[in-house]
Amino acid sequence: MEKIVYSLFLVPWVLALAVFLLPGARFHRLRQLITFLSLPALSFLTYLVWNGHLPLQIETPRWLNLAFTVYDYGLLLYFLYQGIKFRDFLVTVLALFQLFLLTWILLIMPESSVPDFYVDRLSAFMFLIVSTVGTLICIYATKYMEQENLERENRFVAILLWFLGVMNLAVSVNNIEWFFALFETTTLASYILIRFRWDEVSIKNALRALWMNQIGGIAILLGLLFGIKYYSFTHFTQFLSLSGKPAIVMIPLGFLAVSALVKGAQMPFHRWLLGAMVAPTPVSAILHSATMVKIAPYLILRLSPVIKGTLLAKLLIITTGFVFVGAGLLALTQENFKKILAYSTISLLGLMMLTASMGSSMAILASLTLILFHAVVKALLFMEAGVMEKLFKAKYIEDIRRLVERAPITVAFTSIGFMSMTIVPYGIFVSKWMAIEEASNFLSHGAYVGSIIFMATGGVILALLYFKVIGVMTRKRGEFLKFQLEKVPFAYLFSTVPLVLFVIVGSIFIAKLLCLSVNPVVEAVIGTPAPIIAKGLTLITPVSELYGWQIIGAFVLLLIVPILAYFVHFTGTDRVYEYTCGEKLELNIGTYNFFCIQVVEPFVETAAVALFILTLVLGGGLV
Amino acid sequence: MSYWTAFILTLFSPVIGGFIYGLERIVRARMQGRVGPPLLQPFYDFFKLMDKRSIIIHSFHAFMGVMYLIGTWFALFVLLSGGDLLIAIFFHVLSLAFLVVGGFSVRSPYSVIGAMRELLHMVAYEPLYVLSATALYLVTGTFQVSGILHSEHVPLIYLPLLFIAVLFSLPAILKKSPFDTAEAHQEIIGGPEIEYSGKFYEAVYTAKWIEYVYAFFFIFLFAGGNHILGALLIIFAFFFFNLLDNVTARVNFRQMVAFHWYILIPLAVTNLMLIALWRS
Repeated sequence: MEKIVYSLFLVPWVLALAVFLLPGARFHRLRQLITFLSLPALSFLTYLVWNGHLPLQIETPRWLNLAFTVYDYGLLLYFLYQGIKFRDFLVTVLALFQLFLLTWILLIMPESSVPDFYVDRLSAFMFLIVSTVGTLICIYATKYMEQENLERENRFVAILLWFLGVMNLAVSVNNIEWFFALFETTTLASYILIRFRWDEVSIKNALRALWMNQIGGIAILLGLLFGIKYYSFTHFTQFLSLSGKPAIVMIPLGFLAVSALVKGAQMPFHRWLLGAMVAPTPVSAILHSATMVKIAPYLILRLSPVIKGTLLAKLLIITTGFVFVGAGLLALTQENFKKILAYSTISLLGLMMLTASMGSSMAILASLTLILFHAVVKALLFMEAGVMEKLFKAKYIEDIRRLVERAPITVAFTSIGFMSMTIVPYGIFVSKWMAIEEASNFLSHGAYVGSIIFMATGGVILALLYFKVIGVMTRKRGEFLKFQLEKVPFAYLFSTVPLVLFVIVGSIFIAKLLCLSVNPVVEAVIGTPAPIIAKGLTLITPVSELYGWQIIGAFVLLLIVPILAYFVHFTGTDRVYEYTCGEKLELNIGTYNFFCIQVVEPFVETAAVALFILTLVLGGGLV
Repeated sequence: MSYWTAFILTLFSPVIGGFIYGLERIVRARMQGRVGPPLLQPFYDFFKLMDKRSIIIHSFHAFMGVMYLIGTWFALFVLLSGGDLLIAIFFHVLSLAFLVVGGFSVRSPYSVIGAMRELLHMVAYEPLYVLSATALYLVTGTFQVSGILHSEHVPLIYLPLLFIAVLFSLPAILKKSPFDTAEAHQEIIGGPEIEYSGKFYEAVYTAKWIEYVYAFFFIFLFAGGNHILGALLIIFAFFFFNLLDNVTARVNFRQMVAFHWYILIPLAVTNLMLIALWRS
């Protein structure tokens, strides 16, 4: 069993090395083949882990600890070098501070015999996402880079594959010092990927991503430091033993939660994720969906049994809920397609952490469902953004106007992606529904009332955003004279179609999916499974039911009928042009960009900073 | 409510909605000192429109009008069949989506602006309805519509402020003055409806009648198990919203959203918080 877990880290690295060592245009096919291998290999390994005996605690030899410490120093020195090389004050200073904190921790670190690896179902759940969605993105990237820069393709794909291994490792370590090392390694990976194009903007945004995530790293180190000071705790499982005990010192947990907020690009630290859009599109896809930002909800989920019901959890609910609404609002002002997607990721990450901090079994279930479906949908949407960029040269909302006339497949997939983030009966809706109903049980707490307001308003704002984009895409001049599908390269279809299928099939069989696959994870996180029952397609929750016929009905309305709409031609009717008060106009319709909302941007950010500080100071018990 | 009652009620909802609309036109006319059209006028219009030769922009757009009718019908069935209230609310969003996508799918400035405003209507009233669902849960202990209809509590007594908020947002959901920005006949000539004609316009129009039933049934829920009170509430809401329609002028969309977010939602939340605190 240990070997299987180890191979989950090592296989991507070996494949990455193989891809890296085969440069040039000649080996393009071979590299694609190797990258493709990662999908079956990692999926099979995850399958074995999932069916194995969990949770698994792995004792490691002492030299590994030493190796991690050496690696930590190497990594921080590299950050320092980058800071000096690009004359970036913040990166330099933060790297120095991290070095200082790390040394301090190593000096006072107690000996502990707790196993350093802890693989439970939550880790396996993350493996599942990384090894399916992540590898599909890598396969997609081989084609994408072929169209962009074949010479550097090997490098790019190798980094992506290596990143998958790092992510797998990050979600299975127990030792917080190691977790810090891997947290900063994902930072390093995102730094390298964002600056991949080596132009001025890329380097600037990469450095920004670096220093912001370094703050997250510092928060982890501080959390660890205070964990050692108050409890001599160095491992996650030790913290979990605190759950349910009154009057615990919240400082370490407060810092760990803050590091999650930073990693999850919550306002005011959202700019690094927005900056990632300058990189090639697979980078955004992988950062937003399978890796990197998903560490944030993962970390909150790990801590949620301990922080459940505390002031910290309530402040986290308010902060992340505010980001859910605020990021959605700011997304309305954007014109760049990838930026819209980035803001909606920030927003939905807020919702994931909100539900994770609620800590009850239903809320954890909602959070995990969100993580799963969001990973799939965001990967799909970013891949489609890449397709639009490469095949139709469309980067802005204005460019995708009337795309449906040229690219029915792309528009259909993108619409399914967008709709699945707001509308019945898709998975993300189901988790939002469960979260609202769960929060209704605790309405005497202000935080939960706040969470309902945030979920309700944030949800409609996102619906407004997505339908705005769908509306621009589906506009057309007249009838389809000849129905013709666009030619999409096979690699693109291969990586997107499974995701679309999963979104649809997973949403139809949501009851079974939640009971069989997600509920065991809930049990691993907080000890008790959520009280849900699947009866056929019907999902029965403690307070309510989502009937199978409702799901099917909504799908018939949403999917089958609009597809028919391509082929339905009404006869016996007259075709006219649009009504324009009798004037002869060149009709060139744009869309609303809600510039009026830009006015509130400073206020939203100020409020976010205030909430962030409140979370740290009050939630972390620093008063 | 059994599935069969719900099914029959849903099936005849266009007729009920048509009568409500006919009555509304009379009541509104009487308030203005006019006689008004006959009660069956909406149905006369219906048959006249069915008889007309349709003029359309393209089939997708016309098809979306039909889909809006089917979607609204289905959403009403979800609400009446006694299932989860929140899900019924979100099904309403789904049905609106068809009207919006249809409105966006043509290059008409009026239609596109109208569709955008339709979404803004949703932004305005949707949170309020979600809050109502949670408030009804708080009082009756269930999210199931059938449970609420058999509850021995009368939610209205516990949720007066919320009821006022919902009452004031009725014009937004039914697109009546002062919150009729999405249609705004004098300004954008019906918004997303403008490019529909003949049978397809009839579909959109019938969907609106169904929305009447949908909205008034929501009011009915505030009486819980006391169905006579529920009927009275509907009658009151009907007259109130016609009065409101007659005496107010149209506001712009910012004022509409601001009114909902800064006045009605805080009102609802205050009510919700106080009840929850009192009960804990």
